[in-house]
Amino acid sequence: MSGQKFDRIVVVGGGAAGWMTATALATGLQGRASVEVVESEDIGIIGVGEATFPSIRDFNRLVGIDERDFLRATNGAYKLGARFRDWLEPGKDYFHTFGEFGNLNGSQTLWAQHRRTGQTEPLGLQCLPTVMAMHGRFDLQQGGREEFKFAYHFDAVQYAAFLRKLAMQRGARHTQGRIVEVLRCADGGVAAVQLDDGRRIEGDLFVDCSGFRSLLLGDALGEPFVDFSHWLPVDRAWACPCERVGEELTPYTQSTALEGGWAWRIPLQNRTGHGHVFASRFIDEDRAREQLMTRLDGKPLAEPRLLSFTTGHRERFWIRNVVGIGLSAGFLEPLESTSIYLIQDGILRLMSVLTAGRPLNEADPALFNELLVRRFARVRDFIILHYHLTRRRDSELWRHVAAMELPETLAFRMEMWRRFGLLHEYDEDPFYAPSWLAIYAGMDYWPERYDPVCGEIPAERAQQGLQWRRDGIAARVERMPQHHQVLQKVLENKT
Amino acid sequence: MLTDLDWSLPMLQKFDRIVVVGGGSAGWMTAAALVSGLKGRATVEVVESEEIGIIGVGEATFPSIREFNQLLGIDEAEFLRATHGSYKLGIRFNDWLEVGQDYFHTFGHFGNLFGSQTLWAQHRRMAQARPLGEQCVPTVMAMKGRFVLPDEQSQFKYAYHFDAVQYAAFLRAFATRRGARHTQGRIVEVVRRADGGVAAVQLDDGRRIEGDLFVDCSGFRSLLLGDALGEPFVDFSHWLPVDSAWACPCERVGEELTPYTQSTALEGGWAWRIPLQNRTGHGHVFASRFIDEDRAREQLMVRLDGEPLVEPRLLRFTTGHRERFWVSNVVGIGLSAGFLEPLESTSIYLIQDGITRLMAALTAGRPLHEDELALVNDGSARRFARIRDFIILHYCLTRRRDSELWRHVATMELPDTLAYKLALWREFGVLHMQDEESFDATSWLAIHAGMAHWPERRDPVFAEVAPERAAQVLQGRRAAIAASVERMPQHHRMLQKVLG
Repeated sequence: MSGQKFDRIVVVGGGAAGWMTATALATGLQGRASVEVVESEDIGIIGVGEATFPSIRDFNRLVGIDERDFLRATNGAYKLGARFRDWLEPGKDYFHTFGEFGNLNGSQTLWAQHRRTGQTEPLGLQCLPTVMAMHGRFDLQQGGREEFKFAYHFDAVQYAAFLRKLAMQRGARHTQGRIVEVLRCADGGVAAVQLDDGRRIEGDLFVDCSGFRSLLLGDALGEPFVDFSHWLPVDRAWACPCERVGEELTPYTQSTALEGGWAWRIPLQNRTGHGHVFASRFIDEDRAREQLMTRLDGKPLAEPRLLSFTTGHRERFWIRNVVGIGLSAGFLEPLESTSIYLIQDGILRLMSVLTAGRPLNEADPALFNELLVRRFARVRDFIILHYHLTRRRDSELWRHVAAMELPETLAFRMEMWRRFGLLHEYDEDPFYAPSWLAIYAGMDYWPERYDPVCGEIPAERAQQGLQWRRDGIAARVERMPQHHQVLQKVLENKT
Repeated sequence: MLTDLDWSLPMLQKFDRIVVVGGGSAGWMTAAALVSGLKGRATVEVVESEEIGIIGVGEATFPSIREFNQLLGIDEAEFLRATHGSYKLGIRFNDWLEVGQDYFHTFGHFGNLFGSQTLWAQHRRMAQARPLGEQCVPTVMAMKGRFVLPDEQSQFKYAYHFDAVQYAAFLRAFATRRGARHTQGRIVEVVRRADGGVAAVQLDDGRRIEGDLFVDCSGFRSLLLGDALGEPFVDFSHWLPVDSAWACPCERVGEELTPYTQSTALEGGWAWRIPLQNRTGHGHVFASRFIDEDRAREQLMVRLDGEPLVEPRLLRFTTGHRERFWVSNVVGIGLSAGFLEPLESTSIYLIQDGITRLMAALTAGRPLHEDELALVNDGSARRFARIRDFIILHYCLTRRRDSELWRHVATMELPDTLAYKLALWREFGVLHMQDEESFDATSWLAIHAGMAHWPERRDPVFAEVAPERAAQVLQGRRAAIAASVERMPQHHRMLQKVLG
């Protein structure tokens, strides 16, 4: 493979992963390679991830998508974070937004002063977007610096269609047809894919965006799967959109812990997405379906659809001339809305190799694989954290996750938090220290001690500082418009 | 910030006339910074008593001195010529771990300090017998006596060795040229204001120097902050028991100049060696509880590597600082405010830190608020505490038990801030940083590594890197550093070239 050039890139699959990849390639390579997307309309798209991670905004900016066009095309809404209900115990809830909690280090460490001065109100009141979410507010005006990040809720199928148009405008070829055979080259890579109508699509590089089927990486190349399901036992999901009811739109995803999994609620402009992710070991499909249907807050718009999956990833993501992006490469339950983020991460790393301005060498795929494996492990640990800290013991699922042995990396980080109050960070972790703090705080999991430098500040002073900050945030949020009003204005804005 | 200002507290008056009491390096650094930064918005007068003389603190410095010089627009070559200066890459510590063992603390990097790629951890994991210092550019330079100015590839910081008395003279000329007034005379009385501040200082010839703000740079005497205002002293000497120093410069011998300070651990303290262009500074910092003066003097004299140029001089001090650094209209900068033994050459750095805080308050573009004083005082106290911890680290990790001093420092109870950091390192391999640190994680690592103090546990994240790849990266980096240092000139040649 050393020194190989990729003049013809074939993207296999036309869901969000396929069209995000094609758009980025057509935009970033500027004609230096041909980009062809092979899509089988009759197979259809799994609409993964209607809720996203803030990085989606970077992606849209990078490929030059206007926010208003995007929101219009995808029935999108703003997302400040997620609200977790009943995870600690039934009746308890907390938010994980993409904001900060003041200082995280040294004598001014906000959470430690909050603990030290015996504050009884939730730490979330010290986080601007959390308070915004609690009051259903949204505001694009952030003053000089970015005080918080936000993401979107949107229709992933419509997003794929939107990107298809864009990618084709930029020169991507769209080929429809069902792949019936994968033709290999002598070195073990892929030479071409054969369609059912007899056409043969040849390429130098194949990006496998074929979803759970993993046509190239899994089926053809037989790359083994690294299974996370011991730690993350959910393996099914019922999904069912319902009618939007009322004017208000919560600017957050809602995730409610249930007997054998958890239910999502994702508000779009035109409908509300609902789903129930569950572990088939712990609850049967029918019961899971019922639990979903009773939760709908509007008329169902379709029959509920069942998805099956295994949590984990292929050992390698890039082998020879095959790169897996999206579900073909790996899957983590949508608890932190990371599916589209992981697609994006794969695309950016692929792009940086392809645009390095030098021939590819052996180390490129090796590094690509190493980093993506690490990225998956970090997200895995962060999701496990949500489960493991539960106090629920009311069903098998919760007893299992509370008692299971943890991955070493997670156990190490948790021990450092518990014993020293340190938010230990790792490379390739998409979730920074404030995100970890949000979960620890929400799950009422506090350290035995904290940095003694916190004692260098007089307690009254710390107390006063906390009160000022909280009041300042409350006053600002009070002046902000409701989320649906902001969204309306953005959508109507004619330029 | 949790410590936002409390605007309900009263505002302080404006400072049109600033009087600097004392003309050592603290006094003239302060005056030079004030006249440059305030640009005539206040008068600056330095009251200096020639007969009291200057304690030439800190002939070895910290890299921040370069920022100070740059801020004032001082040319490096001119500065080096005026002060007989030389370049300093860091410090070599001899005999601190055990007699016969040494290590360097330079101002360079040890590669990645974060996550799976953490260099020191991969180095440990590959069970490398070689010293970690080989992964640090300026450490290898120091070992080989080389020096070049850092470029974009070899990013490291450096400092100087210089003659602090000549530096004070250089800055006096600089400051008076820019409008500072220089008044000579001995202060016989401090005239107070009703609110507790200082109204004026009375000189022995009858002159009275009035001012709105007094900067106390009077050295250990602490004329205003200590004597007049009676601000209590926070004593660190339990942890840092050295309280005396013999100092004696000797002739420079030979052409070569080590581009580092040398600090050698002795029975009751440690000895410094600081190479200047024209002489080599020597001294012995010791704890009078553990060794007597005469013995300490002898131990110094046998170490001189050239003819002594004067009789050795004895200094006495207490390690610690005033509780507050800024009280009413009096600001202490330099020894009047606090002192830490020169083990990490922080004296001039702490002067500079005081000046920076003062300048920030004076140039805020609005009347000064009383609450800001509290912030200045908290920040300064915290900075002292952090350096204190870092210096204690050098002592408490020793394996020496051959004298009372070393037995004391090896077993004493540590400040809780340091104990916390040490526990995090030992148990988790984390280089934890607090606020107001002067020494970053790399510096802490240099001491831990030099003192063979390694964590008990290995972060599981390190295993994510394949061993062959880790070995390859370490080997590649070490070889590249060695090759680049090989091409560098000797320190004395480089210095010669700069001086012209």
